[in-house]
Amino acid sequence: MTVLQAPNAPAPAARADDRWLARRRWARAGWLYAFMLVMSLFFLGPFLMGLLSSMKDDPNEYPPRLAIPQLSARYIGAAYNLGVQGGGDGWNGGLSPGRTVNFDVSVRSPQGAPQAPPTVALFPYQPVSLVSIARYAQARDFAQVQVTPTGSVGETRSYRITVRYPALTRQTGRVVTGQLTAPTDTLSARLENGQVVPVTLDTPEAQAVQFNLNQYQPVELVENGGRYYLRGPTFERTPLQVDVQRGQSLESSTLPPSDRQNFGRSLAYRNVTPGVLGYTFNNYRRAFNETTNPATGNSLFLKWVLNSFLYAFLRVIAAVVFCSLAGYALARLNFPGKNLVFIGAVLFAQMVPPQVNLISNYVLLKDLNLLNIWGLWFNGLVAAGGVFLMKQFFEGMPRELEESASIDGAGPFTTFWRVMLPQAGPALIALSITQFQGAWNDFFWPLIILRENTNFTLTVGLSNFRQLYGGQGDYGLILAGAILSAIPVIIIFVIFQRYFVDTGADSAVKG
Amino acid sequence: MFRRGQSTATAYLFLAPFLISTAVFFFYAFARAIYYSFTDFNLFNNPSLIGVRPYTQVVDDPSFQRALANSLIFAVVTTTLQTIFALLMAVALNNKLRGMAFFRSAWYMPSITSSVVITLIFLWLFQQRGIANYLITQWQAYQPLVLTFLVGLVVAQVIQVLLERRSGLPARWTDPALAVVSALSSLAVTAGLVWAGVTGVREVPPFDYQYFADKWITLGGARVLSIPLLVVIIQNTFTTVPTLMLFFLAGLQNIPGALYEAADIDGATPFQKLMNVTVPNLRPVTFYVVTVGLIGTMQMFDQVAVIGSAAPQDTLITLAYYVYTNTFKAGAAPVNLAAAAAIILALIILVMVFVQRRFFPSEVR
Repeated sequence: MTVLQAPNAPAPAARADDRWLARRRWARAGWLYAFMLVMSLFFLGPFLMGLLSSMKDDPNEYPPRLAIPQLSARYIGAAYNLGVQGGGDGWNGGLSPGRTVNFDVSVRSPQGAPQAPPTVALFPYQPVSLVSIARYAQARDFAQVQVTPTGSVGETRSYRITVRYPALTRQTGRVVTGQLTAPTDTLSARLENGQVVPVTLDTPEAQAVQFNLNQYQPVELVENGGRYYLRGPTFERTPLQVDVQRGQSLESSTLPPSDRQNFGRSLAYRNVTPGVLGYTFNNYRRAFNETTNPATGNSLFLKWVLNSFLYAFLRVIAAVVFCSLAGYALARLNFPGKNLVFIGAVLFAQMVPPQVNLISNYVLLKDLNLLNIWGLWFNGLVAAGGVFLMKQFFEGMPRELEESASIDGAGPFTTFWRVMLPQAGPALIALSITQFQGAWNDFFWPLIILRENTNFTLTVGLSNFRQLYGGQGDYGLILAGAILSAIPVIIIFVIFQRYFVDTGADSAVKG
Repeated sequence: MFRRGQSTATAYLFLAPFLISTAVFFFYAFARAIYYSFTDFNLFNNPSLIGVRPYTQVVDDPSFQRALANSLIFAVVTTTLQTIFALLMAVALNNKLRGMAFFRSAWYMPSITSSVVITLIFLWLFQQRGIANYLITQWQAYQPLVLTFLVGLVVAQVIQVLLERRSGLPARWTDPALAVVSALSSLAVTAGLVWAGVTGVREVPPFDYQYFADKWITLGGARVLSIPLLVVIIQNTFTTVPTLMLFFLAGLQNIPGALYEAADIDGATPFQKLMNVTVPNLRPVTFYVVTVGLIGTMQMFDQVAVIGSAAPQDTLITLAYYVYTNTFKAGAAPVNLAAAAAIILALIILVMVFVQRRFFPSEVR
């Protein structure tokens, strides 16, 4: 934008000129902002769309909607209430023994159509996951549903669906929760404090289900006089199906149906006791809960997250120590073979694709029994890129620092440790960030080296999600996992933004 | 500064971890890969030398030829696209305006997220009934409105510029202030026409294109670029542009402002300034960006591995993926072929970098 020298006494024509230029300047800024916004939408759009859709019941719905019930205050409130009714917990929801849940639907039945109430039933929901997971008890086998009409306005009739889950014992006392342990001839449960107790089945109803319950099944027990009586299994979700008669249609319900089939007459509610987490963040909860490792009952997804953090942490530590040492030596010490080391081990190593080393490193690590996180770490112990970054940084530091240290009689190591490294804060942060990001997003080496699904890092685990449902992919799970795995890097980016911008660009342009 | 012998010993001590790990995991591995590429190794036997037969076998392998073609086309197209877009966006971001920091962070988002995450999101976007097809359907439906608006915009702009010129003002065809007025009036006219029923939203069937299928763009009967690979190209450009943009941005800040002022005095249009001032001054950065782009795109692996069986293998196979699949083939894996392919891949990259350095030297600053 040109700057015009304003004359002392502006002639009317010049003033008009100025105004014209100013107008153009504003207009240009306006167009620029519009362009910036469009581009921001382009770059953030896929992520925002993914984030939004990760909360939907069906992320593949077509046409895609932006306004989704999972984010409306009314339905989040309803989900909270239903969670309180079913499990006493508005956040996690669920269905516990002894509870009753009321769910309202209203059905439009025009004149001439049957006026009969809808048929309702609970249906089984068994999570499908990449590993066979513990088969949990289903609400359908323990709870009863019942429909009562509650009134009518014009052609619309309202019904109340009541889900009743009677406790299996009539004992009263302190209610505790636990998980069933491996099946033996007697039923026993591990309480939240880790204590394993035998479970007493004191009613015929309780005895009838003792062989239907598997390991890891969450249960509620009543403690009375030192004995633990089974109150019943607890359920994470209560799937409900409502079928309206031919000619009728659903007008509204406490929560909108997750799925409509049979020309809108068969309505499935994936969970009528969701709680807020089970409703809005259902897919996120599934990512953790439905990837259970059958051997331990722990969440695989959680394990992958921890593995990713461990690997990234190890990489950062190694890089900070070894890359700064090597970078310093290359930048500041004179020794024979320096150029050879720089060109051969730093530049050349960065240019050769990792696929060349795949075979040898795989065989080597296999022979060393290191096909796990530690092998992964060894393989990427000192990144050539990190050495390059630190070399560039140390070269930019004033020589006087070292000279004065040298005059004071400090050796190279003391100089490095006491004088240079404390000055290298910004470079070390930049290095740590690139290494963290690199390790967190790394895919090629983890895919090759990690062979057990308990060893996976998040990227490898996520790519396995795609194989679910016969290669179709369960996109609710995939999107939730993708968003979750993006969060740590985004947080780090927001905090250390300046360093992201600093890392490569400057050294590339000036170096 | 320090005594020479001591200094050498210290330097190698400092370098020891780096050198040892590079020696084991890079040079030893590199040497072993070269060795395997001349043997009949299949991961389970004792390798014995068989000369250059693995190389001839690899070159004769149709799936290697496809991988090579895919890799080269991918590298060239993606590098071109990402360099051009990164440059244009850096120029746009280089304006001193309020809120640029926000835009810079927003645009940088695709660069920090992992390729796996972005590939999964793109797979979802480009489903047969996905968001990409939905947007195309919407675009088709709204085409009459958009066209009306554009025609109105151009007509209004031409009229305004001619009027301004008659009153003696040196208005350009792209004058931004007049364009605002043109846009607003064209919007009003379009709204009026919609209200009058002259133009409106079309009824179109949903656009149901299947992206991840055996579909090709052909040139003279030869299959050049597959549609799945095109999607990966779009995705890769989307992810790498922000990083490369930063390199250009850093370069732009080193161009003296006096050059632009001189161009302004000479009456250069923004486009002339871009071509005659910005681009020549960015030669060193462009050199770097193209080199990095070529090295990166030739090694493309993650996207192919994540998409995996979702697209026919021929459409997406790259050299890196060819190496991977041959190493981990069920049964006896032709590791010698994989090694030979990996060596060829490395040679191509090194030749590319060498040619770049030799024939397109970065200017001395």
